[in-house]
Amino acid sequence: MSARQNIALALGLLVVLAAIPLLTSSRYVLGQFILFFIWFGVVTQWNLVFGVAGIFSLAQMMIFAVGGYASAMLAFHLQWAMWLTVIVGGCAAVVTSTVIGFATLRLRGAYVALLTLAIAAAMQALIIADTDCLSFETGTCITLTGGASGLSRFGDFGFRELLGYRSAVLGEYYLGLLLITVGSAFAFLIINSPLGHAFRALRDNSACAAARGIDRIKYQVMVFSLAGFFSGLLGGFYAGHFNAIGPSILDFSTLLFLLTSMIVGGVGRFWGPLAGCAAMMLFDELLMGLEEWRAVGLGVFTVVAVILFPQGIVGFLESGELRRIGSQLTGLSAQIHHFVKKAPGQ
Amino acid sequence: MTVLDSVLQILVSGITLGGMYAVSAIGLALLWGVMGMLNMAHGSLIAIGAYASVFAVGYLGGTWYLGLPAAMIVGCLAGVLLYFATARWMVGSGQFEMNIIIATVGVAIVVKSLLIIGFTGYPQRQPFALEGGIYLGNVLVPYQTMLIVCVAIILMMALSWLLKATRMGRAIRATAQSQKAAALMGIPAERIYLQVMVIAGVLAAISGVLISSTANTSPSLGEVTMLKVFIICVVAGLGNIPGTILISFALAVLEAAIQYALSAKWAFPLLLGIAVMILIWRPYGLFGAARIRKV
Repeated sequence: MSARQNIALALGLLVVLAAIPLLTSSRYVLGQFILFFIWFGVVTQWNLVFGVAGIFSLAQMMIFAVGGYASAMLAFHLQWAMWLTVIVGGCAAVVTSTVIGFATLRLRGAYVALLTLAIAAAMQALIIADTDCLSFETGTCITLTGGASGLSRFGDFGFRELLGYRSAVLGEYYLGLLLITVGSAFAFLIINSPLGHAFRALRDNSACAAARGIDRIKYQVMVFSLAGFFSGLLGGFYAGHFNAIGPSILDFSTLLFLLTSMIVGGVGRFWGPLAGCAAMMLFDELLMGLEEWRAVGLGVFTVVAVILFPQGIVGFLESGELRRIGSQLTGLSAQIHHFVKKAPGQ
Repeated sequence: MTVLDSVLQILVSGITLGGMYAVSAIGLALLWGVMGMLNMAHGSLIAIGAYASVFAVGYLGGTWYLGLPAAMIVGCLAGVLLYFATARWMVGSGQFEMNIIIATVGVAIVVKSLLIIGFTGYPQRQPFALEGGIYLGNVLVPYQTMLIVCVAIILMMALSWLLKATRMGRAIRATAQSQKAAALMGIPAERIYLQVMVIAGVLAAISGVLISSTANTSPSLGEVTMLKVFIICVVAGLGNIPGTILISFALAVLEAAIQYALSAKWAFPLLLGIAVMILIWRPYGLFGAARIRKV
């Protein structure tokens, strides 16, 4: 697809998403959409690091959590306004992400994956182990990070006062939409800019790219910092939307759900995160009634999707495969047509 | 208690942990070394082994030691199934390294849910356990510890014999060195991959029985262990088996020492921190050879 077609498709989708609250006022549906926005936004940034730059980082949820925790802790302990803390959260995430970018510079492939996984697991373990009381409020112990149970009721974006209780979800819906629009536009620019070409060159053949004068260290640290900002913002948005944050966002299962979304959608492709997150969340929603079999279905779906579409859904759509199947189907239908037309005469 | 007692205490629990980790880590290292496969379903294999023993003894009413052969048989089957469910369809494709991670993650989700459906999420007691112990000075050395260490040593010796002295082992090592050259010598890569999966499955299942005998058997048993085993493998250098065994014991003793000196809650974060530092210092692990890519 050309850049113009991509932009047209994106604008069309944006209009559809903006119109959704006109079609339904169900808080559940809108809430699911907000959650979709959050995951889609995170996977978009992750895709820049993982797919476009080809760095096997699994620290994405940890960077997201840093943004979320920074804004939640500022709002909780210092009573800062959520709007301000989200920005600070984004900046905190940039710092963390840059440090991780430096720490993984000399590593390759699976080592990066396991190192970043270890950092994320260490953060979760430290939060859960945090039981030292910072202050006492009406006899309850308040810890810095909230420990295993997390922090809650620290404030939100104030849509409830502004729009009333019923329409508050709309404010958050459009804020989420704004965030993913800006985040996706940013990702689009990166992928199609000289920066994106440099990343792809480094991913495909780092020695050749280095010989052409592309500084891997500079670009790797840069992609980590840039992708960190929106991930942190989304983390803050998550904290503000749910008015709570806990160590469970660092659970392995959440990370894997998003990683799977990215791979199923198509790694390194602009539309991959959207297709992947939509497919995974839709499938998850479809299996809602199955209770304990829901996870089994999701796991089977993951395995089958990776085996059938090793390039992801978007990669599959972009390859000639679909056209080939399409032409086969047309041929088949022509044959059936021919057969049906012949049949009465016999 | 004297200093000597403390050291002895740390060594006893460290060696117990180390034996369990080593058995598990070897399987993971072997898969990485031979196939370049990061097996995220390793934790599932661990849990499957633990439940196989619980099922054979607790549900079918076997004697306690029958848990181990039961786990080995089920682990072997699980290895075969894992191969045909994932790697069989991907080996050799360009995105193998990445897609196999996702596929095995999918398998891990399925296995965990099936274990919860079949055995409930509540922890169960592992019957493969011995009561009592002997005193070494003031330190109690449980019989269970000796059992774990014996099983671990026997397994490591058996594996090293398998890899060094048998035809199959030579074929596995040849494939690990260069799959292409091995294939040209007439070694079918697919059969080797299947064999390695089975070995990894059996080892993981046995380690599951050992690990759950010191804690409890629960569907998430494998997850924490898997993370520790991953760390052991990267600190040692992925695919390096002797290094992996050494690091298993070193990190386990370290973990026991931290637990003893500070508290249990600091052991895991500190261990992770140490692993991160080692990796920054030596990007290919302590024993991993830096692969210099020629242009």
